Order: sequence, then C-alpha cells, then structure tokens
Amino acid sequence: MSSDTILIIGGGPAGLEAARLIGDLGQRAVVVEKRDALGGTPIYEHYAALTHNFRDAEEAMNELIAAAKANPTVDIRLSSEVVSCSGAAGDFRVKLAKSGNPAAGANGGAGVAGEEINAGAIIVATGFQHFDPGRETQMYGYYEYDDVITLADAERMLKENKFVTPSKGTPPQRVCFIQCVGSRDRQIGNEYCSKVCCGISSKQAIEIRQQVPDCKVFIFYIDMRMYGYWENEIYWPAQEKYRVQYVKGIITEIIRKGDRLVVRGEDTTMGRPMEVPMDVVVLAVGMEPSRGTKDVAKILGLKQNKYNFIEVPHGGLDPTATSVPGIFVAGAAAGPKDLDDTMAMAGAAAMKAAALTRKLQISNFKFQNSNFKTQTPA
Amino acid sequence: MGLFADKYPDVAYQEKERLWEQVKADPRYPSYLYGCYECGICVAACPSARFYDFSPRKIAQAAAREDIDLIYEQMNDDVWNCSQCFSCNRCPRQNSPGGVITILREVAVKNGLKSAKQALEGYSRIIYKIMGTGTQVSPDMLQPDAFPDWGPQVREVSADLELWRRALPPETLHTTSTGWQVDDKTIIELYLIWHNTGVMDMIAEVDEGLHMILNDVMEEKLEEAGYEV
Amino acid sequence: MTATATAEVIPYNAVNTKSSRKFERQAEYAPEDFHDHLFELEAEGEWIVQRVPEPYVEVMTKFGRKKKIPLEMTWHHKSCGQCGHIPGYSTAIFWLNRKLDLKYTDPTDQTSCTAWNYYASATSNAAAQAGVAMRNFAAAYETGYYPLIHCGTSYGHYKEVREEMMHHAEVRHQVRDVMKKLGKPLVMPEEIVHYSEWIHAVRDRIAAKQKRDFSNLAVTVHPACHYYKLVQEDAIYDPDIYGGQRTATVSALIVALGAEVRDYSTWFDCCGFGFRHILVQRDFTRSFATRRKIEVMKEEANPDVVITHDTGCVTTLDKSQFVGQAHGLNVGVPVMSDAQFAALAMGAHPYRVCQLHWHSTDYKPLLEKMGIDHEAAWAEFQEDLKKLKSGEKEYLTWEDVG
Repeated sequence: MSSDTILIIGGGPAGLEAARLIGDLGQRAVVVEKRDALGGTPIYEHYAALTHNFRDAEEAMNELIAAAKANPTVDIRLSSEVVSCSGAAGDFRVKLAKSGNPAAGANGGAGVAGEEINAGAIIVATGFQHFDPGRETQMYGYYEYDDVITLADAERMLKENKFVTPSKGTPPQRVCFIQCVGSRDRQIGNEYCSKVCCGISSKQAIEIRQQVPDCKVFIFYIDMRMYGYWENEIYWPAQEKYRVQYVKGIITEIIRKGDRLVVRGEDTTMGRPMEVPMDVVVLAVGMEPSRGTKDVAKILGLKQNKYNFIEVPHGGLDPTATSVPGIFVAGAAAGPKDLDDTMAMAGAAAMKAAALTRKLQISNFKFQNSNFKTQTPA
Repeated sequence: MGLFADKYPDVAYQEKERLWEQVKADPRYPSYLYGCYECGICVAACPSARFYDFSPRKIAQAAAREDIDLIYEQMNDDVWNCSQCFSCNRCPRQNSPGGVITILREVAVKNGLKSAKQALEGYSRIIYKIMGTGTQVSPDMLQPDAFPDWGPQVREVSADLELWRRALPPETLHTTSTGWQVDDKTIIELYLIWHNTGVMDMIAEVDEGLHMILNDVMEEKLEEAGYEV
Repeated sequence: MTATATAEVIPYNAVNTKSSRKFERQAEYAPEDFHDHLFELEAEGEWIVQRVPEPYVEVMTKFGRKKKIPLEMTWHHKSCGQCGHIPGYSTAIFWLNRKLDLKYTDPTDQTSCTAWNYYASATSNAAAQAGVAMRNFAAAYETGYYPLIHCGTSYGHYKEVREEMMHHAEVRHQVRDVMKKLGKPLVMPEEIVHYSEWIHAVRDRIAAKQKRDFSNLAVTVHPACHYYKLVQEDAIYDPDIYGGQRTATVSALIVALGAEVRDYSTWFDCCGFGFRHILVQRDFTRSFATRRKIEVMKEEANPDVVITHDTGCVTTLDKSQFVGQAHGLNVGVPVMSDAQFAALAMGAHPYRVCQLHWHSTDYKPLLEKMGIDHEAAWAEFQEDLKKLKSGEKEYLTWEDVG
C-alpha cells in the first residue's frame, strides 16, 4: 500500500516552501529539522537582508515558517534527524531519532524518538554550509586575526546595525571583500563557482556604506558574476550610488602592521603588486554541502558528486530528481544555489513528489526493479 | 598571429612554434599549466615581480593562449628573472608559472638560444663544479673578488681556508675544492647519469668550451673505471 | 624508547596573534595520501619503498596527514651550500645527533642534489635530476640508513622528483634504466624528511638538555620557500603554531627553547636567493634580502636573531647585510639555522661547533645575550688553530669540541 505522506528533510527555505505547497495541495507533509528551530541557514547564521531584493531575512523567513506551521497537513519534527531508510518509492520507511546536533536544544526531539514515518516520497532540502577559511590556501589568517571575518560574520553585525572593527569595537574606515574564498579553487578541491558570493558581497558593501557612510569599501575579485537583474539591482548601484571600489585581482595574504591589517595582491588591470591597509577584511566564503546533506545522502543511498553535493543525474532538464526514484532534492543540497533557484526547486520538488504519490495510489503500481530500492545502511 | 607587435620578427614563426612544441611535450607541462583566469595571486606572491618588469601571470597567460610570438619573447627576455622560489605555486588553478619557466629555460638551453648563452655567461665555473665534482658549492669559491659585496669576512675565510676546514669536526668536511669528501665511485656514477640523460648534449649547445673541458675530465675517469662513453 | 614517541605538547596559542578562533582540521577534507600510489608501485615491482625506521615520531602535516619522522639510523644527505660556506650549519646537525645519542651516518657516497644549478641555469632535465636523486636514495638504502635531507632545496626538489616519478611512467622507466647501468636498485623513501623536521620532532629532547637561558631572546623566523611552498601538503603544520595556518617547523623549536617568536609582515616573502641571482644577479638578492626582509623585521620586530632552516636563506639573509649597512640601511641582525640555535641552547661552542666565524653579520651581541663569553671562546678556538697549524693535531675532532 503506498503512502501519500511526503517526508521533507530540512526546515530551511527549500524545505519550508515545499512543505507549504504540499500542504496547499491538501497532502500530508512531515518536515524533519535537526536544529530546534525552523528557518535554516538564514536564521541560524543571522542573515541581515536577503540577496537580491534586500528584504529583512528574519521577517521573510518568519513568513515562510508561519505558512508551513499554519498548514493543517504539515507536521514538524524539530531536533530530529533521519537515521535509517528502507523501502522504495511509494513506501519508504524512515526512522527518526532525537538529533545529536548541539543546536538541538532543550526541547529537542520530544515525542519523536524511534518514530517511523511511512512516506511515499522524500524531498531532501538539507542545504549547504559556509566554507571554513582555515582550509584556504592563501594566507588569510582567519584564525590569526579577529578583524578578518566571513560573509556570515558580516551578516550578523549588519543585522544588528553595528558594523565595527571586531578588535576595537569602533566603526571601520576601510573594509574590503575578497571573493572566491573556497570556490573556483583546484588546490582546495572546490572547482565550482558558489554563485551567490559576488551578489552577497556587493549587497553587504552597500549595507556597510549605508551604516558607516565614511567607510571606504573595496571588493577584490576574479570575475564579478552578477547575472540577470543582479547587475542593475546590486552591481551598478554599488558602483554608481555607493562608490564601492571594484579591483580585479585577488589578495594573497593578509598581514598585520601595527594594529591594522594590510592586504597584499596584484591589481591586474594596472599590472602591479599592491599593499593596502584595511580595518576589516571580509572573506567571501563559498558553499559546501552541509553535514546534513552528506549524512542524509549516505542514509538514503543517494549518489553524490565529486564535491559531495547530491548528484542530479538529469541535470537542468530535471533539476530535482536524484539517483533514487521517489527521492527529490531542492536547494543547495544539490549544489550552490541562490534563493530564487532554491524556491523554484522547492516548488518543482513538491509538485513532482505529490504527483508521484498520487499516481502510485491511483494505479497501485509498484516498482519491481530492484535497482529502484534504496539501501538501508548497516 | 599574436595580439601584439612581434619583438623578434627575424625569427621564423615555424622556429618559435617548434620550440613551443618542445615545451608542451615535456611530461610535466600538463600539470604545470591548466588555464588562467588572471587573479594575480602569482604576481602578488612573486619576489621577482617586485624588482623586475616581470609577471608570472603573463607567462601563464601567454602559455594558456599559446601566443607563439609572445612566448618566444618571454623565453628570451623574461624567464631568467624568475627566482624559482615557487611562491606562485599557490595558484588556485594549481598552475605553476615557475614550473613553466623551468621548462621554458630548459628548452632555451637545449636549443642554444643566444639569450640563454648570455644568461649563462660567467656561470660556466659553477656548472663545471657541480657536474665535475658532484658538489655545487665548494669552500674555495669564497674569494673576495667573486663576492666583493659580502664584505671583509670573505677575505678572512679565504685567507685561512685550509686551516679553517681542518677545524671542522665532521670528518667529511676537511675538503676545500668540494663541499665534502665524495667517493670516486660516486663521481663516476654521476657522470654516467649526465651521459645517459642528454645533459652533456645540452651543455654542448650553450657552451662548447665547457663541454670540451667537462668531457676531458669525465672521459679519463670513466675510462679508468672501465666505462666507454 | 617507545616506537612512536609523541613530541611534547606545546600549549595552545604558543605562537599566535590575537585570534579568539581555533581552527580544527577535519580528516574528511584531507587530499588523497600519495602513499597509496607509492606502495601500489612497489607492489607492481616498479620500485622498492624504503620504510621509515623505528623509532619515529608522527607529526601533523598541512592537510592533516601524519608524517613519520625517523629519530635515528639517519643517512645525512648534506647540503653543498652549508658544507661549503656555512659549515657550522652541518656540524651543528651532527652535533645534535651525537648529544642526543641518536645513531647516524655521514656518507661520502653522496652528491649534491644538483637542483641549485638546475633552478639557476636549466642545464639539466627532469630525467637527469631524478637520476641524481635516485642514485642518492639507492646509496642510502644500501647502507641500511634512512635519508635525512639537510637542504631545503634538495628536500623540495626531491619531493617534486617523487611526484614526477609516481605520475610519469616514462620518466620512471628512463631513470630505472639509468640505475640499472649503475647497478643500483630503484628506491623511493616512504617519506622525504628534512632535518628541520627531525629537529621539530626532537625539540622536547633538545629543550630537556638546554643549558643556556634563551628567555630574553627575541627571534624572527624566515620559513624557507622550498620547504613549504613546493609540495606544500608535506610540510609540518600544528594547530598550536599560528593557528595551524603557517608551517610550525622552526617556530615550535624557538618556543620550546623559551625564546620569543616575533611576527613581521613579510614572513611569506622569499629571502631573495633566486639560485642564479645569488651568483650572478646579486643586486636583486641584496635588495630583496635587506629591503623586504631584514629592514622589515628590524622595524616591526627588532629581533636579536633571524632563525631559518635552509642553506640559501642563511647565506642570503646574512651576507646581503654588509652592503646594506654600508648604505645606512636599518639592518644588522645576525642570521643562523635552527640547528645552530638549538646547539647553542644545549651548550655548544660558538666557534668549534657552530663555526660562527663563517657568518658575516655581527653575532657577538647575540652571544652576549645568550651569556656566552665570546672572547674567551674565540681564544680557545685560536688555540685549536695553533695546534692544527703547528701539526700537533691534524684535525679538530668530535672529542675536542665537547
């Protein structure tokens, strides 16, 4: 007997949007979230404003959370994680347990220990994590200097409207961004572009100029990837209205001179080495598969690509299908994604999952081919 | 046809192409150059770029574009400025501009380019030392006229060299014309390596005189040891 | 002695700046270990892999791989620049082995790696360079001792040779044929080990035998390019030294000896050696060594001494200061190797062992700070020379130097 329940793993933007849509179709969705709160990375990492439309991230995420919570056919399991999965499309048996994540919190896992969900389809929305700059080949000293921060650290300060030089607590006079940290890098093994960092850096550069008008802001880049409307909505305003200075050339080292940082690199358009003092350096760290994405891929038996994101075998023509029938993927679990793509994928995955479960119920069709079975980990 | 005015129009394009093909044929080349998106990391890390009109990024770009005229120009005018410190190995594309330069230099030497000969002028003494004795640096190279800028301390060393060498506790270091005491058998093995890997032919291309002297020294020792060259 | 002694643990942030963050390397991000390929080739009969002898110490490398550092039965692959121009460097390495009672051999069946010439003049090629390396490795293997490489350039170059030999069968086979003509087996050591890694591994033992107090010394460290920039994944990194973001070799020793490591902004820069430049284009070398290194150290850290761990760096940083001084530059910092510094800490004679009279920049104020009566020491050494000159003694021996 096939189930019409759809299990959604991950309660970030993609998972919440998929849950809401499945609920709107009148079908049952169960959202499993490892942390003790919904909202995913934008909430957990205290994002300030969303790229590209500058909406307040918390407010936007709260709307998504409210929509999912208010839906009578959406069940939410906080502080829970998937520990095993058996069965096949139409009849997955998925065991949950209280999550071992430190962020599970005190109210975590209530009532879910040992719960088994019988799901007709699964949507994986386990997302990404930021690249850890300790693994960077260039000498960025994230673990040496507190005034070297990441995009995520900057979001937190911008959200509080208190962008300061961390070591001094005073507003900075010069800030720079270094692009492609942990992305487009064969040394590190992340050859892909993380897609959003150019936009986010430029967005943050504008916010810094708004919050600290006297501060000079530089962006050191290899290529500015501001496709579509990001060009006119972010890049040009950053240059024309906010006078953010874009320099083609990447920093090789951040060093300290006195109580200030100095960045060294080549200004490639001018063709000469440069050394520039900075108060704060923001590393535009890229995306890597989250711990959850890597774990869930293993538990569900999903193929992963060489970067450990979940593989999408049919590429752009079927961006939510995974290597296992009946299991779909949405958002950055499948590779670097901006919010627009994430939300569109969530809709597509919800649609595909719902359509599949309905089809299976109507025809009572069962997959016979053993290749379609998922594996239960030992 | 490259994008810039050709600095060496007298050298036939086919000749430049032939040299470039030799560079690419080196088994190391594919792992020394993948592609270049001009981030400038190599230049920022490069000591020579701070002193000379020299850019490892331009070396990588010219190679990536296969700009034959420009590569030929670099093979003559730029490569000898590199300090081979390999700071440029930090390239996020995992290129090694310094490694490309190693190969460019090697091809320049192997083909006896005039610029390579000029670059090696005043250098034959050192090549002779390493190839002939098995140790590159010897105490007797420390002469005040060779290192006038190192100050009076060089004179002190050279004045009492033999005595100062005898005042070294390690038994192998009492030498003055080699860095340490090297066995004859070891030297002969080294000569066999030079002969069997084409290095003697490279020397013949850049410095005939040196080649002759080295050959004399080696032949005698090799013959004594029963090897035919 | 246990088979795998663990080096003394230095407290966290032993050498660090002012960060509140701590980096922890995760094994899952470590690149593939080259040993898989190394041993595969051995299994296929392509070469012999010489194993690191016990006892060894395991140290952490850049991406989290553990590297075995042999403590004794070491075959000392000497450095031409050290032996030729700064022989106190090599002497100090041997002296440390003797004082720590660790068995070693100082071979005469050894040539230079010839990489200095190769990087300077390109009058050689990949096969010849690999041939020279493999001849030396085979010579070590035949003695039963394990290669310990004194020179940073040889160390970096041999690691490159290893890469080429592993990944290019045509180079490997060409070199194998040459070795056959020499009647030697093709041998690749399990690990290519630099002497400064050995010092790093025994730094706790050195500190345990320390006789001179270094707590009033300020030190700047110049990490050698060919030590950590060539085949970077093989260099020692430690979360306790600069948060694991710079090589720990040398700095960890200085800390173990109780001296203060001072940071300066051009630490990543090359010394200016340049291989050909030090020989035929010294304007570049002098300018770089004084303007980018020594002057910056002076201004930002005002050290008592610069400690480094490679031949070319000691020579370049030391000898280049003479002209700088004549031109009124802010220079004048003595330069020596970690081996000499460690030996001085353990009570070595500054002239008989460390042979500082081969160095150029004034080291006497440093010796005074170390509590060494350099005038008395020099007088003792002059007495030695007298005996050598008169023929009373032929050589100064290990027994003579204490």
